[in-house]
Amino acid sequence: MTALITQADALLRPTSRLEFRARTLLATIILFGLFYGAMMGLFFGPGQLPRVLQSLYSGAKVPMLLILTFLLALPSFYVLNMLMGLAPDFPQVIRALLATQAGLTVVLASLAPFTLLFYASTTNYDAAILFNALMFGAASLSGQRLLKRFYAPLIARDRRHLKMVRVWIILYAFIGIQMGWVLRPFIGDPAQKTHFFREGAWGNAYIEVWDKFIDASHGGRRR
Amino acid sequence: MLRGFKALDRVLRGEATRLPALRDGNIDIPAGLLVVVLVVLGMVAGACTGVFAVITRYHDDPANALMGWEQLLASTAKVPMLFCFTLVVTFPSLYVFNALVGSRLNMRAMLRLVVAALCVMMAVLASLGPIVAFFAVSTTSYPFIKLLNVVAYAVAGTLGLSFLLQTLHRLSRAHSREPIEAEVEPADAAAATTPTPPPYPTPGALERMRAQKLDPRVRTIFRIWVVVFGLVGAQMSWILRPFIGDPNKPFTFLRNRESQFFQAVIEAIHKLLW
Repeated sequence: MTALITQADALLRPTSRLEFRARTLLATIILFGLFYGAMMGLFFGPGQLPRVLQSLYSGAKVPMLLILTFLLALPSFYVLNMLMGLAPDFPQVIRALLATQAGLTVVLASLAPFTLLFYASTTNYDAAILFNALMFGAASLSGQRLLKRFYAPLIARDRRHLKMVRVWIILYAFIGIQMGWVLRPFIGDPAQKTHFFREGAWGNAYIEVWDKFIDASHGGRRR
Repeated sequence: MLRGFKALDRVLRGEATRLPALRDGNIDIPAGLLVVVLVVLGMVAGACTGVFAVITRYHDDPANALMGWEQLLASTAKVPMLFCFTLVVTFPSLYVFNALVGSRLNMRAMLRLVVAALCVMMAVLASLGPIVAFFAVSTTSYPFIKLLNVVAYAVAGTLGLSFLLQTLHRLSRAHSREPIEAEVEPADAAAATTPTPPPYPTPGALERMRAQKLDPRVRTIFRIWVVVFGLVGAQMSWILRPFIGDPNKPFTFLRNRESQFFQAVIEAIHKLLW
């Protein structure tokens, strides 16, 4: 436990030259992701108590979101790396990518007190969603910075890694957005019963957004 | 089987297509084994494409799920068929044009080259399979899945063709009279005089050759190949439809002969956006 926290500290510092092991990084992602998720799931409506079940579900979902997205994007990224002639570096690439996600969860976990403070001051579900989106946005910004840092030695060795890291960001974002959509609800509408998945609400994030856009451009009327 | 995948690994890493390996104007890969690998990868990619049919059919009416599974099996069979048929249809004309343009590639080298390029395509496609399957599981929009598949095939095709171009180019270099050392020497000289970074430790399969303009002959051959491959491949895929399976239509192994590929893509974009 303490070892993990020391690791997490080393993960964030720009100067550290620590070689992380994939297993430790995975443990960090799961642990810190679980923590933020559990805090995120504590939102409750007026006259309610915090919902333990929702908190557990949300806790499970944050690491799931990251790890499943990572696993889905990995095969094509590996083949692309091979084609670029970067296969020998791939173990290091995996460590860099895992370290980025681990760093992201550490940042998220550090933002959890803000989320709790916000929950203590509002009962508005939409506001809670927006606030969490803000937190995730902040975490992913620092995630990008971390990715740049962990990739720097690789890029210094071979410029082609620069191209690949861009490909990775596109792939990861494309899958991650849909994954986030599928794993809804992360917070859970307090007015509804607690479910792991929202009933009948799978569907495609991109299409939903595009439909909203079309509706808006038609003067807000449904066609 | 395992040897086939090892050969695929060498192709993808670019080990099979480095200049020294091409010195005698041939690519040293087992084409027969690679065709087996091609079929296996095609089945993986096809199965991932077919997931959509199972999910939508099940979603609409669980009693219909059988039809979706039929579609999944059909897609699994069809994607390898698509690539093998395209190879069979295009190979004779490619070979003839190649000879006409004056390339020195013999038939066996050509066959190996085309099989290697198709392997690159299939490997990329199969590796994109999990993404396609994931979107298929969570999406009910048929046009979106259609376009996603088109994008996946386009990415795979582009990478496969750029592999083809670079390998053709290297082959023409390996064939030409100029010694291969010419590529090594300037790098050493440059490293001795100026502190420029050393050449990449591992040139990839898609790596462009340095400081060399493309041989015009290679460019002509390549253009012919792209046109022939692209047109035949697209139309072949159209003949072998449906790969994904329209949720509103009953399962058929092949659809009626009608309309064309590009028309359908434009229609799908239109339906998705408006």
